[in-house]
Amino acid sequence: MTVTDNLFDNLRLELRRGCLTLAVLAQLREEHYGYTLRKALAERGMVIDESTLYPLLRRLETQGLLASQWREEDKRNKRFYRLNADGEQMLGQLLAEWNQTNAAIQNILDNQL
Amino acid sequence: MEILDRYLQAVKKQLPLKRQDDIIAELRANLEAQLEDKESALGRPLTTGESEDWLRELGAPVQVAAKYQPQQYLIGPMLFPTFWYVLKLVWLWATVIYVIVNVVKIAGAPSGTALLDAVLQWPLALATSTAWVTLIFAAIEFAVRQYPEKWRQMGVPLPVGGDWQPSSLPLLEKDAEGGKKPKSRSAAIAEVIFGFVLLVWLLLVPYHPYLLLGPGALYLQGSPFQLAPVMVTVYWVLVALTGLKFVWIALQLGRGRWQQTQPPVHKWIEAMGLIPMGMLLATPQHLFVTLKNPALDQARYGSALEAINKSIYLCALLVVAIAAMELVWWLGKMGMGAWRRRVAA
Repeated sequence: MTVTDNLFDNLRLELRRGCLTLAVLAQLREEHYGYTLRKALAERGMVIDESTLYPLLRRLETQGLLASQWREEDKRNKRFYRLNADGEQMLGQLLAEWNQTNAAIQNILDNQL
Repeated sequence: MEILDRYLQAVKKQLPLKRQDDIIAELRANLEAQLEDKESALGRPLTTGESEDWLRELGAPVQVAAKYQPQQYLIGPMLFPTFWYVLKLVWLWATVIYVIVNVVKIAGAPSGTALLDAVLQWPLALATSTAWVTLIFAAIEFAVRQYPEKWRQMGVPLPVGGDWQPSSLPLLEKDAEGGKKPKSRSAAIAEVIFGFVLLVWLLLVPYHPYLLLGPGALYLQGSPFQLAPVMVTVYWVLVALTGLKFVWIALQLGRGRWQQTQPPVHKWIEAMGLIPMGMLLATPQHLFVTLKNPALDQARYGSALEAINKSIYLCALLVVAIAAMELVWWLGKMGMGAWRRRVAA
């Protein structure tokens, strides 16, 4: 791997970090357990490693943005997550920020063309 | 699947005890669901090789477990510059003390082996001092991180975002006194720590003379000489001045004003150091050390006593002369600076 590839990977990782949280919060307006959430995100183009997604769910729950519940499904106990009221509010604020950032970058690019 | 069980067991061992069962139960449910999907897509169970590839993709157990835990460090980014500054100072002083002690030791009984031993054990002395400094800073980091509110209530400024003060920004170098580089926060914290250590050391010396004289304390105990009462008075004046300086630098740090050079109180405190030296010079007959039993020992140790007192007097005279010249030089610089500012205005 060249230095440029390495740098790109690092910058890409930084860029994606916040977006992953936003994507997970948005997807969890519907209830999911870890694996189905990962599949749902991947189907929409947001591929996330298991080792990133599952700890992220725990952190978001600890931060009070998700509610979780152990429940049996297909003869197996699974932990289901869903956005709670605080999470809904946070998602709204983050989406507004996301849209503003997106518009600003688009504006900068448009002005340079 | 046995290899998945082994994988989960390895992850579990790296997790905090309190949460490991819950995390592993969730991880197992997710991974088993994923495995079922894979096997139903293939229409057969995974081969050993395929299972290993899949687990390799998931990541090493230690890495997976680490992601479930908050980022951990012994000394955080806020304390690290101070830690590094203090560590370099400690290495310097540890080396100086180590060299002095070993020179004295080897001078007493010169031998090649003793010299080799001293050289080979020097890294060990540095490693020991590094371990102590690291331990102390790790304890400070832990205390600050665990109980930030208690520290704030006690009025201790914490090196974290909320307590940051714009007045603590470094001065522009061209505006600093005499063009000198302004003192950094790390240097100011180190000065407070060393001030405290010096004060404690001074207070302990009368009860534990080996802290000052090392093994020489034993010789002093058995010698016919003792310190004259004036030395005790001088000692307490020194303690008072050291305490005063420590309080001042700690207050300056606490108020975020360690870079301010006006008013130069610390310089005046240093100038007050001339008082105990003046007391020494004014001692009648320059008797700083006396004999414990003059009737018995005068004939034998009288000339040695005279030489010791004369040496102390000359040393005190030299120190006073140097300190007085430095004070005059500093006062002259202050006067010139004030005169230039008045002319410029």
